[in-house]
Amino acid sequence: MVETTKKRNRVFDYFCQDEQFAGGVAWCAGCPMELIARLTPKVLGKNMIFVGTPGCAAPVLHGQNIGAWHRMAYLASVMTGVPSKATGLSRYYNRIGQDATVVCFTGDGCATDVGFQPLSGAAERQEKFIYLAYDNEGYMNTGNQRSSATQIGAATTTTPVGKIGKGKSNAQKNMPMIMLMHKPTYMATATVSHLEDFIKKLQKAKEKSKEGFVYLHLFSPCPVGWRIDSSKVIEVCREAVRTNYFPLWEAENGKPRITVNVANPKPILEFTKLMRKYSHLKEDGLAELQKQVDERYALLKTLVNAGT
Amino acid sequence: MVSAQKGQVRVITGNATGAYGAMLCRPDVIAAYPITPQSEIAEQLAQFKADGVIDSEFVEVEGENSAMNVVLAASVAGGRVFTATSSYGLVFMYDALQETSGFRAPVVMVNANRETPGIHAVSSGQQDMISARDAGWVQIITENDQEILDQIIMAYMLAEDNDILLPVMVNYDGFYLSYLAEAVEIYQIEDVDKFLAPLKKQSPRQKLVPGVSQGCGTHGMEMGYVEARYKHTQAMERVKNKVDEIDKKFGDYFGRYYGGQIEEYRTDDADIIIIASGSATGTARTVIDAKREQGIKVGLIKLRLFRPFPAERLIQALKGKKAIGVIDRSICFGWKYGPICMELKVLTQELGSVPILSYIDGLANLDITIPHIGRVVDEVNEAAKGKPYQDVTWIPMEE
Amino acid sequence: MVIKHKNIFKTQSAWSNADEKMLCLDTGSWRTSRPVLDKDKCNYCGLCALFCPPQCMNDMGDHYEANLDFCKGCGICANECPRKAITMVPEGEFTDG
Repeated sequence: MVETTKKRNRVFDYFCQDEQFAGGVAWCAGCPMELIARLTPKVLGKNMIFVGTPGCAAPVLHGQNIGAWHRMAYLASVMTGVPSKATGLSRYYNRIGQDATVVCFTGDGCATDVGFQPLSGAAERQEKFIYLAYDNEGYMNTGNQRSSATQIGAATTTTPVGKIGKGKSNAQKNMPMIMLMHKPTYMATATVSHLEDFIKKLQKAKEKSKEGFVYLHLFSPCPVGWRIDSSKVIEVCREAVRTNYFPLWEAENGKPRITVNVANPKPILEFTKLMRKYSHLKEDGLAELQKQVDERYALLKTLVNAGT
Repeated sequence: MVSAQKGQVRVITGNATGAYGAMLCRPDVIAAYPITPQSEIAEQLAQFKADGVIDSEFVEVEGENSAMNVVLAASVAGGRVFTATSSYGLVFMYDALQETSGFRAPVVMVNANRETPGIHAVSSGQQDMISARDAGWVQIITENDQEILDQIIMAYMLAEDNDILLPVMVNYDGFYLSYLAEAVEIYQIEDVDKFLAPLKKQSPRQKLVPGVSQGCGTHGMEMGYVEARYKHTQAMERVKNKVDEIDKKFGDYFGRYYGGQIEEYRTDDADIIIIASGSATGTARTVIDAKREQGIKVGLIKLRLFRPFPAERLIQALKGKKAIGVIDRSICFGWKYGPICMELKVLTQELGSVPILSYIDGLANLDITIPHIGRVVDEVNEAAKGKPYQDVTWIPMEE
Repeated sequence: MVIKHKNIFKTQSAWSNADEKMLCLDTGSWRTSRPVLDKDKCNYCGLCALFCPPQCMNDMGDHYEANLDFCKGCGICANECPRKAITMVPEGEFTDG
C-alpha cells in the first residue's frame, strides 16, 4: 500500500457548512454546475440566500410545490429580475441589520443576454451582493441554443452545422471584461478544475460583498450540450485554463491580476478535441478560434500590466 | 378612536402629493425610475432622502422592470415598499407585476395614468391601467390630489392586511393631476403611524429570512398551482368589503370619506346614472348639478375600485335605474365598448335589460369637457325614455 | 362549489419548506457503471471526493467510497485520480444494483 498522507486534503478545511442539498438531485451526470452549486454554500456558510432563475440551476434550486431539494432560503425570479431582486433583498437586510450573503445564481444566458441590463445597473450602483454566473456558453436547459456567451464556430441547435451553416458566426461577448469595465468591488473568473483558486475567490467574494458589488464568472462546460464524455468534464475545465481559453484572474476595484499563470499555453486543439461541439471545425475555423483566444488574452495581459 | 389632529395644508402638485403620501407611511425601500408624467415623484423622494426627511433605502434603478423587482424582493423579505411609474414603465415591468401579485407581496405603487405604447404618446389616458388589469393587482382610481394622498395611506392599510396581502396600484390621471397644484392637507406623520398601527399588531406575514429553510416562488405543480391561483382570486374578492371598511375607518379618523369601492353622488332618486372615474368625475359633478337644475334626475357613480370590479356595490346602486352611461378614458381591444362599460355589461342578469351606453372620451389628453358630459346625460336620458340610442360613441371622433 | 382539495401550501402563495418536505431523487439508479477503488493504490489525496459533482464520496478515514444511493456513474473520480486507483466497472457485473 502506498503510504497515505493520512491527513485530509486541506481544501476540505475551507468548508464551514454541511452539505445543503439532498443527496440525489436531477442534474446531469458530470455537470460542473452541480459541483459549483454544492460547494458554494459549503464555503459561503450560513445565511446564504440566493436568487435563482430559469436555466439549468432552477429545477433544483427552486422547489416543487412545498418540497425543496436543499435547505437554503431562496427567491425565485424570472431572468429579467435577478440582480434587482438581489438589490431589494440586500438593501432591506442591510437596513434591518440582518446578516445575509445574497447570491444571484444564473447561467450565461441570463447574465449576458436577457438579464444583462439589471446586472449592469446593479454593478454600477455597487449593490452589495454576489452575482455568480455559471457559463456553459449557451441555453443548455432548453436544449443547447446559442447565447451571446457562445464562442465563434460553436455548433448549437440555433447555430447548427449544415450545408451552409458552420456554427456560430460571431465571437462570444467577453463578459468578464465587460464586467471589469464596471469596476466592481471584486470580480473573478474561476472554474472547478482549480478548486482552491475557486474557493479562495468565493471567500473573497463573501468578504467584498459587504462593501460593494461582486461578480464571479464560472466556466462550467455542459457535458450533454458540448458532447463531452462525462468523465472528462474536469479535464475540459483544466484544458480551458491551460490553453488560455478561460484565463483565471480576479480584479479588485477594476484592477485585474492573473491568479493562475499559464507559462506555456497549449494550442486550442487540446481543448476542442475533448468535445464534439467544435469537431466540425477545419483548419480555418480552428485558426479563427485560436485568434479569438489569443486576442482576448493579450487584452487581459495589457490591462493587467497597465495596473502596475 | 381619537381623531387625527389637523395637518398642514400645502398647495402642491399631484406628483408631490404622491411623494408625501409615501413619506408619511415610512417605507423601508423605495425604487424609482423617471418617466413623464411621474418623474417629479422620484425627484421629490430623492430630495426628501437628501434632506433627511426620510431614511428609506432609495434605489435609483436603471429601468422600471428593476424598480418593481427591487421593491418586490424587499417586500417579500418583510419590508414596506413604494414605487411609482406610468405608461411604458408599467408595461416594461409587466413580468414583475405578475410575480409581485403571484408572490402576494403587499407592494404599493402609484401609477400616473398615461397612454400606453401602441401609438407612441405622451398624454393622459387610462390605457396603461387597463393593459395591466389582468396582472392580479388591486387597482384604485383617484379624482384629485387630496385623494391621492389619502388613497396611498389606505393602500398600505389594504395591502398589508393579512387577510388580503395583495399589491395595490393607486392611479391618478397623468398631466391632469400629476402637474396640477391643489390644496392638500398633509397629515401629521404621527397620526398616520397611529392609523396604520393595527397592521403591526397582526401576526407577522410570511417572509424570506436567510438561514430559514423556506423559499419564495417554488414551482407550482398541478394542484399546487391551482391552489395558489384560487387563493389569489379569493383574496381579490375579500378586497371589496375591505375597501369599504378601510374607507370608513379613514373617514372616522382623518375626516374624509370617499365611499369605498364607488362613490354615489345624487343617485338615490336618480332615474339615470353616469359612471365616470378619475379627474373627469370632478367635471361630471358640475354637469350633474346643472342638469338637475333643468329637471333631469341624473346621478353620478364615481368608480374608485376597478380591480376587483365592484360588482355588488354597482348592482345595488344601479337597481331600478332606467339607463346608464359609462365614460371610459381608454379602449378595449376585442370589444367595441370601453373597458369599464364592457365589464359592467357582464352584469346583464342582475341589471336586467337597462340600456347601457358606452362613451369613449378623454384619450391623448383631449379634455372630457362639460359639453361632452352634458351630451352624455342628454343621450342617456333619451335612452331611458325608450328612444333609440347609439351603443358606443367615440366622442372625439364625432367632433 | 364544494371544495374537496386539501391545501398543499400553508402559505397564501407558493413557498417551499424544506423542513416540511425535503425532496431527494434516486439518482443512483441512473448509472451504468460504478467506481471501484483499488485501496492499495489510494493515498487518500481526496481529489475524487472534491471533484465529485454530487459530492457523494464518504470519508472512510483512509480512503473514500462512493455512496451508491446517489453516485451517477459520471466517471470523473476515475478520470481525475492521480494514481488511477479507481476503475469504472459496468453495473452489469454487480448483483446489488
